Amino acid sequence: MSEPANPVSPEAPGGMTDHLDEMTCLLYAERQLDRARAQAVSAHTQDCAACRTLLRALDRESRLLTRAMLEADEPLPSRLAEFQERARKSFGWIWGVVFGLAATGVYALYTYLVEPWQTRLEDAGFGGTSLLSLLVFQGAFWKGWQSVVTLLEVLAMLTVAGFGVVIFRRRLRRGSALALVLAGLCAALVLPATARATEFHKTEGAYELSKDETVKSDLFVTCARGRIDGTVEGDLFFFGQSVEISGHIKGDAIIFAGSARISGQVDGNVRSAANNVTITGSVGKNFLTFNEVVNLDSAGKVGGSLTAFAESVGVDGHLGRDLVVFDDQTIISGTIEGEIQARGRSMSIGSSAQVGGPIHYRGDNPASVASGAKLASPVEFTKAVHKSEYTEGHYYVWRVIWTAAFVLFGMVLFLLLPKFAEETVSAGERVGAPLGLGVLVFFGVPIAAIIACVTVVGIPLGILTLGLWMLAINTAEIVVGTAVGNWILGKTNDTWGLIGRMAMGFTLVRVVYTPLAHLHVIGALVGLGIWMWGMGAIALALYNRLQPRVSSSSTGVPVATAS
Amino acid sequence: MSVPGMTETTEAVARARAGDADAWGELYRDFAPAIFRFCRRALPTREDAEDATMEIFMKLRDKLSQYDETRSFSAWLYRVAANHCWDILRRRKIRQDKETEDVDDVPLEHPDPNQLDRLIEQKTNEEVRQALHKLGARARMALVLRYYSDMSYDEIADELGVRRAFVGVVLLRARHELRQALEGKSALAAGGTS
Repeated sequence: MSEPANPVSPEAPGGMTDHLDEMTCLLYAERQLDRARAQAVSAHTQDCAACRTLLRALDRESRLLTRAMLEADEPLPSRLAEFQERARKSFGWIWGVVFGLAATGVYALYTYLVEPWQTRLEDAGFGGTSLLSLLVFQGAFWKGWQSVVTLLEVLAMLTVAGFGVVIFRRRLRRGSALALVLAGLCAALVLPATARATEFHKTEGAYELSKDETVKSDLFVTCARGRIDGTVEGDLFFFGQSVEISGHIKGDAIIFAGSARISGQVDGNVRSAANNVTITGSVGKNFLTFNEVVNLDSAGKVGGSLTAFAESVGVDGHLGRDLVVFDDQTIISGTIEGEIQARGRSMSIGSSAQVGGPIHYRGDNPASVASGAKLASPVEFTKAVHKSEYTEGHYYVWRVIWTAAFVLFGMVLFLLLPKFAEETVSAGERVGAPLGLGVLVFFGVPIAAIIACVTVVGIPLGILTLGLWMLAINTAEIVVGTAVGNWILGKTNDTWGLIGRMAMGFTLVRVVYTPLAHLHVIGALVGLGIWMWGMGAIALALYNRLQPRVSSSSTGVPVATAS
Repeated sequence: MSVPGMTETTEAVARARAGDADAWGELYRDFAPAIFRFCRRALPTREDAEDATMEIFMKLRDKLSQYDETRSFSAWLYRVAANHCWDILRRRKIRQDKETEDVDDVPLEHPDPNQLDRLIEQKTNEEVRQALHKLGARARMALVLRYYSDMSYDEIADELGVRRAFVGVVLLRARHELRQALEGKSALAAGGTS
């Protein structure tokens, strides 16, 4: 090492009357001098009592410093002793609550938002055994919204299992916990399957269920070409190039095929994803399809509704209830007893058409209605306006203005409550715990506030709580933005550093979220997630703040002693 | 670097890295008191030390995967703690000591060893700790890193962001500040003549 100061040389003129400077003595005492200089210092101190005393004093000073610093003068504060327990316990507990509350939240959404639409959706064709079937074929999309309840039951069961794992986790190692979860999932997959047997057929060529054959269960068929002339007493699941159903399906028909033709009878619903589907037979309930071409032949009949996402839909036959179409071209020559809800480019209603309900058509061009058509009411046409708000410049100007306003709002909050802001952001960075708590706060606080408002005495408290809840909602995105900023730029305790990260992170969240917001379900979910995350972080920080600080002397945590 | 008062718990570290909550608790129980004491020496207030201890352990949970098991865990832990505390001090801009690395500023005189000896003799550990809190942030941190954490000059240079050759100067200045705080006499601090 090269010393910063030039020590007074022991061999300097003046001999023994010259002393080592303190820097040299310190470096010598700390063994930081190179060998030659250390030897020189050593030689000098042999003859110089003053320098020897200084060296000894410096050494004693070092030992005093070490002793004073290492002395265990204060026990670990209780707050830190509690932190240990919290750190160990919080995650398991919170994750258990997360799943439980998430299931509750979904159920609440289902009850209050989805259920009112249920009847209407069933009219549109969504009306409807193992978890595998439940998830793959019997989800809400395929079998009706009733299945959502079943799905919730499964979620509830998994939640209970999760709680079990949390409770017994001390006795479980990670492997066994994983095994337990997998076993639970397998049980969930297997148990509901007891309701009905299933027949599977897989072939690369053709499959035929002849006229005199009867399958007394569900039938799964995977083949190139299928022909169902016989009877299936359960549901039919078909995957292949083409299928013709000329027999009798007593349950539902789920079809993934290049082309499908139903000339026989299906008592239940028909769901299909195919290039083209033609119905010349009868479908007892509803028909939902994602197709290029859909044709309900003049001889065809659908007892319920027809919902189609297609390029071209032709209804020449008889439809018992409503027609809901999203397509390019709709041609109606048959009978529709319900109403028509259509979105597309063009609609043509032939002279032989009969429509029993109102016709709502939103498209590029007005519907063409032949003179002989029998309509309950004229076509209600709305010209489609393709220009969305986000295609206009002022939309983005306002987004920028609002973003700036939020950043300003956040900055004021951060400057007013710097310590709390730091704690909140720190809590937000844990993601899982604040999200779990956020679900609770998001749903629980308004309910509690409303209950408080019901009792006359609690009105001020209820209103105040609701006000704080609204404030938390508006602050949530700022918290999330800051957490994101911290992840990108690294954590900081400096208030202005935090504000900078907030501005950057918030803007980033806005940039990412703005396009997502236009995707209805995804936008809503992401928005909810941000709210819950941010609100949870605020709640967690408040919770930590409200933790009592017990006197440090009461801690029982052993203190590592200095040696 | 060896750290007094701490037992290396390699097994607990390995288990904690694997996600074992009990092992994490074990590590916390073993190391939290020493880390709290470190923070208490390095930071101005008790509250700061408590907050910093919690933050260090939260940070540790995230960083545990980065720990090189071939090296001393406690040494690594002190590095994390030192980084954290120094970050706090730096960001609060409470550095009161000189930023210059001007070595000419260090007194080269020979202080009165007997006077220094007497001072050391008279002062208790408690008085030293109190005096420590009167020092500038860098001076205090330098002393804590050296005499509490037993860090080498290289490590101290790295932590404080100064040249290695300047560490001795920082430490000597810190000692002078400490003596001033202990005695309030400039003679010892500035280095009295023999």
